[in-house]
Amino acid sequence: MLQLVADGLVVGSVIALGAVGLTLTYSILRFANFGQGEFMTWGAYFAVSTLAFVLAVTGGGVMEPLGPFSFGWQLIVAMLLAAALTAILALVVDWLLFRRLRRGNAITLVIASFGAALALRNLVQFLYGTLPEYYSREIQIAIRLVPRDVMGGLRVTPDQMLVIGLTLVLMLALQWLLTRTTLGRAMRATAMNPALARVAGVDVEGVIRATWVIGAALAAIAGVFVGITLQIRPMLGFDLLLPLFAAAILGGIGSVRGAVVGGYIVGLAESLSVPLVGAEYRAATAFAVLIGILLLRPNGLFGARA
Amino acid sequence: MTAALEMAAIEGGYEPGLPILRGASLSVAPGEIVALLGPNGAGKSTLVKAAAGLVPVWSGRVMLGGRDITGLAAHRMVHEGLGFVPQTENVFANLSVLENLQLASALVARKRRLDLGRMFELFPDLDRQRKLEAGRLSGGQRQMLAVARALVASPSVLMLDEPSAGLSPKLVGVVFERLKAVRDTGVTILLVEQNVKAALAIADRAVVLVEGRERLEGPAAELVNDPRMAALYLGAAA
Ligand SMILES: Nc1ncnc2c1ncn2[C@@H]1O[C@H](COP(=O)(O)OP(=O)(O)O)[C@@H](O)[C@H]1O
Ligand SMILES: [Mg+2]
Repeated sequence: MLQLVADGLVVGSVIALGAVGLTLTYSILRFANFGQGEFMTWGAYFAVSTLAFVLAVTGGGVMEPLGPFSFGWQLIVAMLLAAALTAILALVVDWLLFRRLRRGNAITLVIASFGAALALRNLVQFLYGTLPEYYSREIQIAIRLVPRDVMGGLRVTPDQMLVIGLTLVLMLALQWLLTRTTLGRAMRATAMNPALARVAGVDVEGVIRATWVIGAALAAIAGVFVGITLQIRPMLGFDLLLPLFAAAILGGIGSVRGAVVGGYIVGLAESLSVPLVGAEYRAATAFAVLIGILLLRPNGLFGARA
Repeated sequence: MTAALEMAAIEGGYEPGLPILRGASLSVAPGEIVALLGPNGAGKSTLVKAAAGLVPVWSGRVMLGGRDITGLAAHRMVHEGLGFVPQTENVFANLSVLENLQLASALVARKRRLDLGRMFELFPDLDRQRKLEAGRLSGGQRQMLAVARALVASPSVLMLDEPSAGLSPKLVGVVFERLKAVRDTGVTILLVEQNVKAALAIADRAVVLVEGRERLEGPAAELVNDPRMAALYLGAAA
């Protein structure tokens, strides 16, 4: 039981990071971006390349594990570089595709994002192949936090704890950005009323670029987290897309807090349902929870009441 | 003397081929309050939105203190010194009162920023509600916040679209008194109004717009009793 909760928190962290980007682009650009999962995949693969680059530059080519973790400091640097590259990728996609369609309706943008997702997925397969990749082959010793006879016991790897901890730090940082900085206030203002935002002096195109950067960078970090705790595959992001949407909708699309809470609910629901329905159906439980919550609160947990 | 705001032969509209503004012109002298009047659908809102950069101007000029600002992006207008308070949804309902003002202030150059403390002196009601979400303000307070938001960027000209809409007669009086106080600080005002009587009471001059063109203009005191006023309003209704 405890073990499933811990696993759910790890998966939930990844989903929360991805869902936040989804909800941000939805509230500012007003469309559901089906390419969000691909930013995770690209982030994970970019980190494979940037890690190789960092290792090559710093000499040696081997990564000495950092303390109890399976990876060294080089992966942290590689992750930040991958986040930056993924942000640039998002800006390029926006510039090539979405920017031209902004005056049209939301359906056009959604379909375009389907296309972009497909192209990005194929491109990653073409560039990196389909075999799973890993940042590190180090075997990690899980730490026993709770003995086996108490609620089934709990063993967590340091990597998993880092994922949960870093996610919380990132979410607090995002919350600070949105509520305490001019950029954050401009983003919330634009989400509320783009025309008034322009009248007040907000450069809405600048806000849109910032939104892509933040959403894609968080997605890339989520992708690296998947790579650290599981493995890196071309379908990494696609397989997470439905949980991302479930989390964002469940929390109330447009609400950052909702996306975070939704992410953890979906992660926990998937994980806790495994002993009940078996691993094959874990994805379905996210939807059972989603439908249940929407029946009670049609606009999601933190959604604006219509 | 150079006009504070001048619109000359403006043509424009929301969709190509469907002109709403058909050569509209008006001019506001520094320190004046000018009322922009006219029947419903005359294009008053469209004209001020065009000046603010929210509606495309196809031809004609918008000059602010002698500088040509025609077709500038809407978010550049505040930097030029043109403030605009739209008719509806004119505050960020999801931001607190203080955040509405902080945002507007942070977006303009430091030398343009009006001190928020002074703003709260001018609008004591808002001072007591700093932390409140703007969406929860009463109608009158919301209108005050909308005006304060625009004033924070110290505009040379402030355009307001029907600030009296939806307010009780008593509140209209309060808001208009505040507008006079704003003018007395040196801000030129263009006031779009449906409430002809209240508008003419505080305006120096008025312009009547019908079907996207100005049809009548003159000192407010003279237009109050001008029979042509009623005719223009009735003519549009007929
Ligand atoms: N967003 C819009 N898109 C298309 N047409 C509009 C829009 N807003 C107003 N109009 C049209 O423009 C004309 C003038 O409207 P408006 O400027 O709001 O008039 P007023 O403010 O004088 O009542 C009306 O015929 C109205 O239907
Ligand atoms: Mg109007």
